[in-house]
Amino acid sequence: MAQARLDRRDQITGWAFIAPALILLGLFMIYPIVWSLWMSFQVGKGMNLSFGGFANIMRLTKDPVFLRALGNTFTFFIVQVPIMIVLALLFAVALNDSTLRFRGLFRTAIFLPCVTSLIAYSTVFKSMFATDGIINEALMAVHLIGAPIGWFSDPFWAKVAIILAITWRWTGYNMIFYLAALQNIDRSIYEAARIDGVPAWARFRYLTIPMLKPVILFTTVISTIGTLQLFDEVYNFTAGNGGPSDSTITLSLYIYNLTFKFMPSFGYSATVSWVIVVVVGILSFLQFLVARDRRRSA
Amino acid sequence: MSHLTLKAVRKSYGSVEVIKGIDLAIKAKEFVVFVGPSGCGKSTLLRMIAGLEHISGGDLEIGGKRMNDVDPSKRGIAMVFQSYALYPHMTVRENMGFALRFAGVAKEQIAKQVAEAARILALEPLLDRVPKELSGGQRQRVAIGRAIVRNPQVFLFDEPLSNLDAELRVHMRIEIARLHKELQTTMIYVTHDQVEAMTLADTIVVLRDGLVEQVGKPLELYDNPSNQFVAGFIGSPRMNFMAAKVVEAGSGTVTVALTKQGNVRITLPLTAAPAIGSDVTLGVRPEHFGLAAAGDADLAVNVDVAEHLGATSYLYANTGTGEQLIIEREELRNELGKESLTVSIRAANSYLFDNSGQRLR
Repeated sequence: MAQARLDRRDQITGWAFIAPALILLGLFMIYPIVWSLWMSFQVGKGMNLSFGGFANIMRLTKDPVFLRALGNTFTFFIVQVPIMIVLALLFAVALNDSTLRFRGLFRTAIFLPCVTSLIAYSTVFKSMFATDGIINEALMAVHLIGAPIGWFSDPFWAKVAIILAITWRWTGYNMIFYLAALQNIDRSIYEAARIDGVPAWARFRYLTIPMLKPVILFTTVISTIGTLQLFDEVYNFTAGNGGPSDSTITLSLYIYNLTFKFMPSFGYSATVSWVIVVVVGILSFLQFLVARDRRRSA
Repeated sequence: MSHLTLKAVRKSYGSVEVIKGIDLAIKAKEFVVFVGPSGCGKSTLLRMIAGLEHISGGDLEIGGKRMNDVDPSKRGIAMVFQSYALYPHMTVRENMGFALRFAGVAKEQIAKQVAEAARILALEPLLDRVPKELSGGQRQRVAIGRAIVRNPQVFLFDEPLSNLDAELRVHMRIEIARLHKELQTTMIYVTHDQVEAMTLADTIVVLRDGLVEQVGKPLELYDNPSNQFVAGFIGSPRMNFMAAKVVEAGSGTVTVALTKQGNVRITLPLTAAPAIGSDVTLGVRPEHFGLAAAGDADLAVNVDVAEHLGATSYLYANTGTGEQLIIEREELRNELGKESLTVSIRAANSYLFDNSGQRLR
């Protein structure tokens, strides 16, 4: 009996300890999430909302701006994430070579971008990519281009500028994960392979990559989520409109515009938010599926 | 014919010299063990032979060819590492066959070679497992198998048994000895464990501070160490060393007094006696103590601790002067509880070393 009473008291104490955190989490995380799901079925402008069933989802399929934003987001994801992951891997392998001089300096230099403020760096990048900015000046000075590139007036180059910026910002962040994982690999594995005559490319392809697979999966999922939420850079580069003519608008920027810039349609923007959730879920699932241990499941 | 030759081989890291000029000739099919305390350079020397460390000076020849600047994969060697260095994501079969894929070996041939190595090492039931599903001993067998499939001229082992527990170490030691018999290839084996060295080697190379102290057959080193370091390093428990002073030099003999053992005197045969009054060290192996009055001199000792192992007993004794002796005596299990004891030493079983640790003969 005493045992049971003590248990209950322990339980109450336990719950009491976590209650403040739980209440805050519930109030500011779970409640808004559940509410946003409810909102996504509401139609109407401003505070004038009514239940619309699947109307918002129907609207998605006929909304050219949404389709544009979805397409742009996918373009950024498909082009930028692989480039960044491969770059980060190459940097990490290079920095893991003990014969490389000034490793600490390089490591810091590559990692530093991701501790800079998003606003600060995108402002600097915006001025660098300006028509008379340093990038155009430099490219013209070396005669790579004849006339300045309209980085923010040409739909193609605008996407390139954004991809360059986010790659600069996040490559070092991913590299650190690879570097940490590489440093955990027993050096004698590579020495054994060297003695056995396994060429350098094969050591990278058949030893490094498989051994880093869990980390590569992790960074890919994190980067996917990050790219699908891409907002700050586009907002800063294009003064919030995702231009030129919606060529850089992303889902997150569209949500922001729907909510705060246009006549607010909270319900519809909630629907678009849930699209991101669903897409992230599907992509992460696919990535886990691709990366799973085939031997185990076979 | 010597198969692997080191000529004045040196290695320095910056201004620190770790291998200070080593000459060595290893015969084909020989099992050579590099042994020495940690930091003596034995692993570095092995890695230089493997090509994992650059040779700062001198020449390395394998099969008559200078190998200093030859890529590790082209030296005709295979190496087994202390950490096994298995590829964690590959099965045993893939681990053993992986490198052959890049040597242009046909698939069927790889399968054949892997099967043969698996047979030799009794790995057949484990071929489809990955390393984390294997025990330490099995992993080491796979590492050895990976070396075998390459059919090397020289096997290099870098402390291969250090990560195994005591029982498995004995088992794998026998396994490696059997393997050497079966494969009949040159093997170079690095260890800090003198028991492994004694049991496996055809030739032992004792290293200290980047220099060779002595090279010889195991029992040669045991019976006839050329200096105090080798005398102390080879043999377990280690040789007892007693401080002594030369008190008399006859023709072909020398008499020393054991300064910390009550100035007991003993006369030894010696061709070139050192000056009277010089400090020397007398070495006696634990098993060479006899019953009182049965030898050339008697020592009275106090027993601190007695270890009875059944077949034999070790007594840790002193004479109150700080000099501890380890005495091994089979019959002493009956002397249980005795606190003092008189044992004898014989000139024929004693070694004399000069001040610098060199053997006096």
